[in-house]
Amino acid sequence: MAEKRGTVGGPVLTEWFGKAKLHTLDVYESLGGYSALRKVVTEMTAAQVIDEVKMSGLRGRGGADFPTATKWSFVPKDHPGPKYIVVNADESEPGSAKDRYLLENSPHMLIEGAAIATFAIGGHQAWIYIRGEYDLPYEMLRDAIAEAHTKGYLGDHPFGSDYPLDVRLYRGHGAYICGEETALLESLEGKRAQPRSRPPFPAVKGAWGLPTAVNNVETLATVPWIMRHGGPEYAKRGTEKAKGTRIVTVSGDVQKPGNYEIEIGVTYRHIIEELAGGARPGHKIKVFWPGGSSAKVLPGSMLDTSTDLDGLKALGTMGGSGGIIVMDDSHCVVKAAARLLRFYAHESCGKCTPCRVGSNWAVRTYERILANEGSETELGLLERVADGLQNGRCLCGLGDAAGWVIESTMRHFRGEYEEHCLRHTCSVGAVLAHA
Amino acid sequence: MSTLSSHLLDEIKELPAKYPQPRSAVMPALDLAQEELGHLTPEAMSEVAGALQLDPGYVEGVATFYTLFHLQPVGRHRFYICTNLSCMLRGAEDIVDRVKGAIGVREPGEVSKDGLFSYEEVECLGACEYAPVCRLDHRYEVDLTRAKIDLLVNNRRLPRKHIKSRPAADVTTPRPLPGSAGPPRTRGGRQSKPAPRRPARPPKESDG
Ligand SMILES: Cc1cc2nc3c(=O)[nH]c(=O)nc-3n(C[C@H](O)[C@H](O)[C@H](O)COP(=O)(O)O)c2cc1C
Ligand code: SF4
Ligand code: FES
Repeated sequence: MAEKRGTVGGPVLTEWFGKAKLHTLDVYESLGGYSALRKVVTEMTAAQVIDEVKMSGLRGRGGADFPTATKWSFVPKDHPGPKYIVVNADESEPGSAKDRYLLENSPHMLIEGAAIATFAIGGHQAWIYIRGEYDLPYEMLRDAIAEAHTKGYLGDHPFGSDYPLDVRLYRGHGAYICGEETALLESLEGKRAQPRSRPPFPAVKGAWGLPTAVNNVETLATVPWIMRHGGPEYAKRGTEKAKGTRIVTVSGDVQKPGNYEIEIGVTYRHIIEELAGGARPGHKIKVFWPGGSSAKVLPGSMLDTSTDLDGLKALGTMGGSGGIIVMDDSHCVVKAAARLLRFYAHESCGKCTPCRVGSNWAVRTYERILANEGSETELGLLERVADGLQNGRCLCGLGDAAGWVIESTMRHFRGEYEEHCLRHTCSVGAVLAHA
Repeated sequence: MSTLSSHLLDEIKELPAKYPQPRSAVMPALDLAQEELGHLTPEAMSEVAGALQLDPGYVEGVATFYTLFHLQPVGRHRFYICTNLSCMLRGAEDIVDRVKGAIGVREPGEVSKDGLFSYEEVECLGACEYAPVCRLDHRYEVDLTRAKIDLLVNNRRLPRKHIKSRPAADVTTPRPLPGSAGPPRTRGGRQSKPAPRRPARPPKESDG
């Protein structure tokens, strides 16, 4: 791979990034790696681990912001038989690459975090579900797990204790919907990845019908730091309600795209202009997706918005997966929205009618608009389809996300839509090359 | 006579024991079959089903759901070109055009005459900071330009030694008829049967 683009030596997650051979157990351990797992299995109880993570205020980085300690505590303690941690390494949200960045830098960080989480829920096995396209991260994880077994940090007696711990790998085969946690579990069980209806929640009936907590890569990779430094130390970072740091991926029309570790609460202006170098000379930022393609867009005039999760919620959008997509004034908003709808339509698992039919309907409408066949009718159609996709009419978040793309781009860029539909022009001269 | 080699079928029979429940072995098993044959034929899928004691229709249902399983012959080197938003903003459409020209095909899924190449347009590869990107021979190629595509293609046309030892190209690879790639696969529409395939023997090529 090319040179790594992103923060090295940052405050928490990227603290050791940039050190030579960090992906090997020896280097990782020489810096302090595996000291947290050692302490956990030899000195602590599961309840103490959950308490420490609770004090940190850590929330899930997979998109839903759910408090991690709470999720773990939902797994019934006295359930007989196996319980699982399932690691969501399916990262497929357009704009998001931070889990890959973490894995390519430090696979042991995830393995250590997953093992600690497994201990915390009283389980013995963690399963990492990794998207099939991530060949290099898969190979690095496979080798790192083998190293940890050889050292005796995983296995029947990790660090000499009597608490067996193992981490296993499972490869996905190309389907965005596998990132949705219940679809992921179906896939892990060898089925077509269609989301399950809830309840029962995975904490009660998850992988192979047994109690399970599904966590994102970045969420678990944060856990060793929290155990080394203590929950309260982590909670000193971030804002009142959104603690800590996270990694954002900045892509699109910026001068220095990359993965940046930020303290939650900094503004998008700081990330896009300071860290990612801002727009190309002579161009202005027109729009950005603050948290993956599934987060409602914000116009360039709102760069001063804070990354505080509750603040974003108040604006009707979210920090989501942390993928920030930036688009400047040389690109057409209608064409960008059309591309994303094609993505959601392609990835719809087909289980709910509003999602399956609505997303394809939107694709065809966008195609007509970009072929200069739009009119008042198409504007009305898009509004109706967007409404039909949202507000809990679909089983999982994919349907909503498709609706949000239409709704939020129409709300902020009504003028561009009207230009296309009513005057049949495009101020930036976009053409639909691959309809 | 079976399509899959007997040692592969033995390997597949060992898989279920690695998982808490045997059904989880279906994708790893299809992986092995695809690696041996290049793509999944109906016979291969039903042999996988037999080895795992599953219904052939079930196995086919799984295979058709996931984009990394190929039901049609593919080139030995496959370009999975990301055309999602971040890559589109940085010229992915141009990259697709260049790949088509360089390998001499008209549409996704079509195999080049020499059997060496095919391409697909795919959704976000999770490497948006390197846009435009593609996956080729199990690695990501990043910051793509037209010149870089030409280089990637030309390198793979050289005598094989320096890349990886694999069986020689099978130029008799059955190719899909022009236009048979059909409309883009939408998961919602995947309940339907895949297009019929030719009965000819598939190429003996490995993936890796
Ligand atoms: C359509 C869809 C796609 C998703 N994709 C991912 C993903 O690729 N990675 C991920 O970690 N979470 C993804 N999620 C969120 C997961 O369902 C789940 O909330 C998350 O893995 C929980 O982990 P966390 O609590 O650590 O965030 C997705 C959700 C939806 C609705
Ligand atoms: S909303 Fe779409 S992707 Fe989600 S379950 Fe329904 S059809 Fe499947
Ligand atoms: S959009 Fe191309 S890698 Fe993410």
